[in-house]
Amino acid sequence: MSFLRIENVSKVFPGARQGLFGRAEGFRALDDVSLSIPRGASFGLVGESGSGKTTLTRCILRLETLSAGKIWFDGTDLHQLPPQAMRRLRSRLQIVFQDPYASLDPRMTIHDIIAEPMVIHADTMPLSARQRTERVLELLLQVGLRSEHLFRYPHEFSGGQRQRIGIARALAAKPEFLILDEPTSALDVSVQADVLNLLHRLQDELGLTYFFISHDLGVVRYVCDDVAVIWRGKLVEQGPVERIFDSPQNDYTRMLLDAMPDPDPDLSPFRRAQTTGEIA
Amino acid sequence: MALLDIENLGLAMTSFEGETQILHGIDLTIERGEIWGMVGETGSGKSLTGLSVSRLIPSPPGRYTSGAIRFEGQDLLQADEPAMRRLRGRRIGMIFQDPTTNLNPAFRVGTQLVDVALHAGRADPSVLGLAPGASARALKAAAKARAVEMLDHVGITNPAERIRSYPHELSGGMKQRVLIAMAMIGKPDLLIADEPTTALDVSVQAQILRLMHALVHERDIGVLLITHNLGVVAQICTHVAVMFRGRILEKGPVRAVLKHPSHAYTKALLDAVPRAHTKRGELRGLGGIDMEAAE
Ligand SMILES: Nc1ncnc2c1ncn2[C@@H]1O[C@H](COP(=O)(O)OP(=O)(O)O)[C@@H](O)[C@H]1O
Ligand SMILES: Nc1ncnc2c1ncn2[C@@H]1O[C@H](COP(=O)(O)OP(=O)(O)O)[C@@H](O)[C@H]1O
Ligand SMILES: [Mg+2]
Ligand SMILES: [Mg+2]
Repeated sequence: MSFLRIENVSKVFPGARQGLFGRAEGFRALDDVSLSIPRGASFGLVGESGSGKTTLTRCILRLETLSAGKIWFDGTDLHQLPPQAMRRLRSRLQIVFQDPYASLDPRMTIHDIIAEPMVIHADTMPLSARQRTERVLELLLQVGLRSEHLFRYPHEFSGGQRQRIGIARALAAKPEFLILDEPTSALDVSVQADVLNLLHRLQDELGLTYFFISHDLGVVRYVCDDVAVIWRGKLVEQGPVERIFDSPQNDYTRMLLDAMPDPDPDLSPFRRAQTTGEIA
Repeated sequence: MALLDIENLGLAMTSFEGETQILHGIDLTIERGEIWGMVGETGSGKSLTGLSVSRLIPSPPGRYTSGAIRFEGQDLLQADEPAMRRLRGRRIGMIFQDPTTNLNPAFRVGTQLVDVALHAGRADPSVLGLAPGASARALKAAAKARAVEMLDHVGITNPAERIRSYPHELSGGMKQRVLIAMAMIGKPDLLIADEPTTALDVSVQAQILRLMHALVHERDIGVLLITHNLGVVAQICTHVAVMFRGRILEKGPVRAVLKHPSHAYTKALLDAVPRAHTKRGELRGLGGIDMEAAE
């Protein structure tokens, strides 16, 4: 049984207005996308910039309407839900953004940033102010921060710490499904490693389902069970990570894999072509 | 004589909190034909090292506290601004992630390329294939021809038309090619490139790396390639220097350093990169070395 199922989804953005009634041809950002994520899984979506990854997450969160297709979340047709019901369901479905610098309000304390989803979802999560603060503290510790960080502001934190704050905030409303839109792209590799391990640990502890978006194939392979490759709004290939990475069937997937710079110098195409002088 | 010889370079920067020592005795020698990767985490001092070689750090806030930066024997720390201006864009090509070497959104790409070519041609007309004392008109015509030729050389199709584009009309990969064209237009002997592929998709990155590699071999220049991507270093660099808090912890031929790192920090950096066979939970952050701020 799938937890999130995307069924033949297309998204066409309207073209620019031309004259009184005319419009330029629309832009097809998603083209007949279908995928299915079982509960507790980590599903990766890889593709280059502009391929439609963020548009798909916005469709899942109903920040965009669909031009065609359906999105099922735990058996519910998301885009048919009345607004009130959607608001309630949103607490189960949260997102962590790419840029830990832009996504945290600089005028809010860490406490208020993490507590905000609990306030928004107070109807499904009735907590007193004191209980909220207790939960914020628990979340801070869970993501590897400390209680003395509670009343500080985002600018006092490094990129990696900010991303931990973003994760704590996403977890505040006790979601079951987390969308991670390039959560480590802005981080140093050393910090990225810690954040990825944190995501693994949280998944084990909380039984979360991840929809993990990245343009880094190495990261996706490390985090995910299954992966889909998106190219110009179309899924060109999907399946278990081992199969996709070890025996890709699609030319675009192969090109992506080949283009990824491997940290092993012996696998450099340039070095192979060169003389051996430098190795000696 | 080495192409570039950085010896015991010390740099301090002044901010509202007072003066802080940023670079602590950097030693690095680059010969022609070598591509030196400089890796390290954010804030380790990579960009300020590159900017020091180009003497692009204003003083204040910057102050060199020790050392020398010899470019073919000439100490750049002793050079005056007119001398540096003659070197920049001519013998030293630069790609930085800051406005000084970036494209100005207000001008056509061609105008900017021609400016750099003119500048290089005035310092040394032979760069544009002209004899000393060439007329202003000849310089201008040659600069324009060179701009088109360089765009073509970095793989931009239809260069004679592209030259009329504004930067926002180009894709990220094309802009980066234009920046490389701009850095290479004066036929430099040394290229300093600060994160030239960081904002690009992997497929475009691969093309740019191929282009840089070809240029180095064709022209026998030396390169300082600043990046935080160990994969990029492994792919195209001949040598690598690992920076940590303003110091070079370890340096040498790329294969020696990446295959047999002698420093625990280098090893930790390498272990932080997910590879094909890294199993869940096996990836290591730099747990022992707490670089996080907000203390
Ligand atoms: N609101 C919009 N109107 C028109 N085009 C859009 C809109 N949002 C996104 N697009 C276009 O859709 C494509 C996919 O964008 P996006 O989903 O952000 O890609 P990714 O996240 O994979 O980089 C891009 O070409 C983008 O310009
Ligand atoms: N203008 C400046 N004034 C004071 N400190 C600076 C300035 N620019 C950079 N620094 C500091 O110098 C250190 C090295 O910076 P930088 O060379 O940009 O690092 P990297 O390129 O490795 O990320 C950082 O700690 C940074 O905060
Ligand atoms: Mg995106
Ligand atoms: Mg830098």
